[in-house]
Amino acid sequence: MNLSDPVEAALGVRPVPGTPRPFTFPAAARGRLSGGLPLVTVHLPGRPLVSVSLYLPNGAVDEPADEGGAAVLTARALTEGTLHRDAVALTEAAERLGASLRAEAGWDATVVGVDVPAERLEPALELLAEIVREPAFPEREVERLRDQRLNDLLQAKVDPARRAEEAFIETIYAASTPYARLAGGRRETVETLDASILRRAYARPGDPGRAALIVGGDLAGIDVAGLVEPLFGNLVSGAAHTGASANEPSIDDGLDRTRVRLVHRPGAVQSELRVGHLGLPRPTPGFHAVTVMAMILGGLFNSRLNMKLREEKGYTYGAGAGFDFRRFAGPFSARAAVNTDATVPALVDLLAELRRIRDAAPTDAEMRAARDYLVGVFPLRFETPGPIVGALGGIVTFGLPEDELDRYRPAIDAVGAGDVLEAARAHLHLERIAIVIVGDADAVGADLEKAGIGDVEVVREAEPVVDEA
Amino acid sequence: MPVPTVRYTDERLPNGLRLVISEDHLVPVVAVNIWYDVGSKHEQPGKTGFAHLFEHVMFQGSRHVAKAEHIALVQAAGGSMNGTTWLDRTNYFETMPSHQLELALWLEADRMGTLLDALSQENLDNQRAVVKNEKRSSYDNQPYGTWQEKLLGHIYPEGHPYHHPTIGSMADLDAASLEDVAAFFRTYYAPNNAVLSIVGDVDVGQARAWVERYFGPLSANPAIPAFDPDPLPLTLGGEIRETVPDRVPLPRIYVGFRAPRIGDPRLYALEIAAQVLAGGKGSRLHRRLVRDEQIAQDVAMFGLGFSSGPSVFMGWATVRPDSTIEAVEAALLDELARIGVDPISDDELGRAKALIETDELAALQRVSERADRLSMYATLLDDPDEINRQLERYLAVTREDVRAACAELLVAANRVVLTYVPAGAGAQSAEAA
Repeated sequence: MNLSDPVEAALGVRPVPGTPRPFTFPAAARGRLSGGLPLVTVHLPGRPLVSVSLYLPNGAVDEPADEGGAAVLTARALTEGTLHRDAVALTEAAERLGASLRAEAGWDATVVGVDVPAERLEPALELLAEIVREPAFPEREVERLRDQRLNDLLQAKVDPARRAEEAFIETIYAASTPYARLAGGRRETVETLDASILRRAYARPGDPGRAALIVGGDLAGIDVAGLVEPLFGNLVSGAAHTGASANEPSIDDGLDRTRVRLVHRPGAVQSELRVGHLGLPRPTPGFHAVTVMAMILGGLFNSRLNMKLREEKGYTYGAGAGFDFRRFAGPFSARAAVNTDATVPALVDLLAELRRIRDAAPTDAEMRAARDYLVGVFPLRFETPGPIVGALGGIVTFGLPEDELDRYRPAIDAVGAGDVLEAARAHLHLERIAIVIVGDADAVGADLEKAGIGDVEVVREAEPVVDEA
Repeated sequence: MPVPTVRYTDERLPNGLRLVISEDHLVPVVAVNIWYDVGSKHEQPGKTGFAHLFEHVMFQGSRHVAKAEHIALVQAAGGSMNGTTWLDRTNYFETMPSHQLELALWLEADRMGTLLDALSQENLDNQRAVVKNEKRSSYDNQPYGTWQEKLLGHIYPEGHPYHHPTIGSMADLDAASLEDVAAFFRTYYAPNNAVLSIVGDVDVGQARAWVERYFGPLSANPAIPAFDPDPLPLTLGGEIRETVPDRVPLPRIYVGFRAPRIGDPRLYALEIAAQVLAGGKGSRLHRRLVRDEQIAQDVAMFGLGFSSGPSVFMGWATVRPDSTIEAVEAALLDELARIGVDPISDDELGRAKALIETDELAALQRVSERADRLSMYATLLDDPDEINRQLERYLAVTREDVRAACAELLVAANRVVLTYVPAGAGAQSAEAA
């Protein structure tokens, strides 16, 4: 080190971190409304924009196969009119409060909510209650939403990432499994949805243990329980968490061997890659070890996959891997979009990394990087009310212990290299794995055959083209 | 609901680095954000995409930091980070647990001062390949992926600094050399061409001391070239139309207009117009095209603010399969004309302002957003205090301001219309798919 150089004198020694300021996940107060609906409130001083989410147990995984897409469409229809006003009047009423009503269904739950400045919380809650308790599901609006979903499915066919996602889940799950379809449903079932089906889907009872109203923000001087009791008090009748749905869907593996599917996208300049198989449900023993393993494999920027495929080879803008944790076993996938010429070498490297993490425990440096990131980034994730409410919602949806978020950092810190190796060996399966490629089959098909990864099944389908009326 | 005032210090180091610090101790988190006053507008002919490629090189190591180590150190410290390049700027930022602030400052100073010590052909070639794949992923392999290049290409004439997109061309990316990197670094990556903002759980005195220690010894560049492109007229002076065949199932119509540059009150009026036209389910275009006439799948309208020439006001509508391009374009253009004739209603204005107020409140909750905006306003408008004036500027807009701005600018003689049509439309029916 040349101390006569002022730049070197200033920069030659790396700083050491200061003392961390303690951070704990904000304390939640839990109660129940008279009808049994759990109410969770989190007072966050200095956060005047209050976030409200009502978690309802109706998710896409719970719906019958012939109604695939109903939950997603039902949620969207909630803001399309009530018994008292149409969609435009509803939207205008919310906008006058500076609030946007949101209603979305995913695989596991329907979440209806609003973000609003604290002093307008009461009228915003009234609007929220109105769409939840008295939705009209007007025929005309439902048909429009259905048509928009069908058009969106057309668009998805030409979006390489969405096309790859669809082909991937159809490959890794047996057709009988809800997760084999898109949460928003396929064309064949979406086409049949109408207002009466949506009304029925909305009325179908779910596990009341997976419902809760969660309110986070600066709640000083606000009697939240007093505000919500008259609005939501009757919403859910009684019942504590039952721990299981009445009808658990069966999640069946669609792979009995390695399958290579190449979806032809003529002239594509990249190949969109998805490699993986059935993963794990969120409530999983060893969740934290699996999380650390996934970070090392494909979560951190300096993960093995990104370092190999991007920073060493330049095949891609980014490579990653991870588990999509749902109530039941969601997918595990590794993914990258690579230039067409690199398709086979990228796949070979990707598969090698999946093997390598099963072969030997990660290094101490890798372990430290992953654990320190997950532990250290925890306060950053929970800076504002929205993500705090969302994390508390996850506890409800997945039926996790109330102290799950408090246990998170110690549990991550306790994961050892042996635990990661064990997790990789237990939960990554190379002997039957799906390899889905959306790319130019004419350019990559022959090399792919020669690579000996598995028999290549080429999917050639007509591009969805519509005539102008 | 008043948006809380952001309090900050604003000073310059002797080497010209502008330093803005804002304390907020709600959460033990701190944001570090550097804006360099260089973007794709500074690129020379034949070097498009270079500013962005250079941004990637900034993560390839410096004298005391190995390749990819910058990100490794930030993530291991529990932080998040990124860099972005746009027409007017390049920014680099970290959000850290507050006890790791010094690390972020050291990392930024090391690459501002010593990047070239670590520069290698191998790393440049690697990031060139990565950026080319970014271009493929984000543009070339995407439906409608060429709209930005085409729209900018029509709104700004050949040779204007905003004519070409930030991602550049493959040929120009191929041509970038180590000498280009070194020259670009020496020209633009100097403390007197940067604004450093620090927002969050910090002590101002301590943060300043660290900045002085790490950035203080870095040399200014006394010869940063002035950037002063020939001014363009505020309007195009004619309508430009292009039909683009693409691999898309649904046609989409993009419209774009020249608009006043950042800081002009008319741009706020146009932002309100965008909200009234397409900002959600209560908006005019959504109501008419999506809901009532059911001819469009979706609509959007927004402004892209620029500082060295006209901004862009733009939007799109995607045509439903059971409708026609002509019907959607007619309805879209009709609404764009109507808003310049009859003033919007008091209720429309009030709703737009209420939503903008909530959006400001939401955005400014996060230290990263505050840091980015302080750097932005200092860089583009030479006044970080604009962060505290935005809401009042929106609230000052009247119905007549909106009408007048729309009447002046949303006109045929200032319009680009790009129509994406399915390549080979008519060859197959939807059922055949």
